[in-house]
Amino acid sequence: MKRSRAWLGVYLLALVVFTSVHSIPWIVGGLVLWAALAGRRAPSLLKRAGLAVVIFNLSVSSGVVLIGLLDGGVDTTWLLRANLRVLLLTACTFLLVARVDLDDALAPWPGLRTVVVLARGQIRVLQRLLEDFRLGLRSRSLRRPGPRVLARHGATTGSFFLGKALHDAEELSLALRARGAWRDPGD
Amino acid sequence: MHVPDGFLAPSTWIPATGVGAGLWAWGARRVGRNMRAETLPQLGVLTAVTFVLMMLSIPLPGGATVHFTGVAVLAILFGGWTAFLCVSLVLLMQAALFGTGGMTTLAVGALTIGGLGGASAVAAWRSLRRWNRRVALFVAAWVSVVLPALATALVLGLQPILATDADGSPLFFPLGWSVVVPALVGPHLLLGVGEGLLTVMMVEAFERAQGGSPT
Repeated sequence: MKRSRAWLGVYLLALVVFTSVHSIPWIVGGLVLWAALAGRRAPSLLKRAGLAVVIFNLSVSSGVVLIGLLDGGVDTTWLLRANLRVLLLTACTFLLVARVDLDDALAPWPGLRTVVVLARGQIRVLQRLLEDFRLGLRSRSLRRPGPRVLARHGATTGSFFLGKALHDAEELSLALRARGAWRDPGD
Repeated sequence: MHVPDGFLAPSTWIPATGVGAGLWAWGARRVGRNMRAETLPQLGVLTAVTFVLMMLSIPLPGGATVHFTGVAVLAILFGGWTAFLCVSLVLLMQAALFGTGGMTTLAVGALTIGGLGGASAVAAWRSLRRWNRRVALFVAAWVSVVLPALATALVLGLQPILATDADGSPLFFPLGWSVVVPALVGPHLLLGVGEGLLTVMMVEAFERAQGGSPT
């Protein structure tokens, strides 16, 4: 648990440092340090980080290039600094998640930990259901469904999930009670 | 509206995180005050539902699709604070697991999408529901998308004013309000229409299934 909290502390410090440092060599230095800490996982984590930010960064960077071309000069320093910094910070987040047991890191906040653990489990169940519903719609449709069918499908799917949420919350609370994890006042 | 790390200056994200932390603690206390055995499981399950609702596609004319946010649905059915807490947790998980949005921008996202979006949806719903329920649901969903987009654009457009180097070149998000407000708000005016229609259909389907209506 101490290790997880130490990593969390280092990560939070890195966020402050790397959003306060504006020198490109320092940011590159940060990436080298990050790669040393990531070890063999560095290439895959860096690739994931790059893919995660590519759309936002491309849209902002292309805006900067376009405005720069119209104004007569593209700010290449900004382009390099911003893109490297975004990549470094996102890579730091992925490294933290890879290195830290989230349950351990959230141990000081037991309520939050319970919610996050329940949410993560439920997300997997609901994602599978969502995929099942999508495949079901596709199998029932001779042609590609139109906007009206898609909207009705989305609405009923969402409504089903909301109803399921209420039902599952009741079941989970009964399960928590049965395991002694919760006592009502007066029990 | 998922802004990655590195686009907001520390003079923005650190105070925003402070405000966000205060509201998270306040919201958790409010929810915890009436804590029952179902409270934590309900928050966990609703967070999961919010996460999955954000994966639903809204069909737009021309074959394009955009993603639903579900903030208005949550705020109207389960309250503004629940929506704020669930959206905050979803943003945290999206940033940590997929790198969609950042940790330094988490509080700004939570305050705009969850806080402003949820509060504006509840306000619109309560103001208009006696006049026309469908219109109230539609407007609530529309404002819950458009106002957060406007707030995010204002925060982003503030960055070139807040943080520049010695040459006056921006250090973080580089584009001013004249570019970022229309670029971000414009598409959300249309997205809000899709969100509104889907919200009306979803809440009505939910009411039919549950045999009751939100108050």
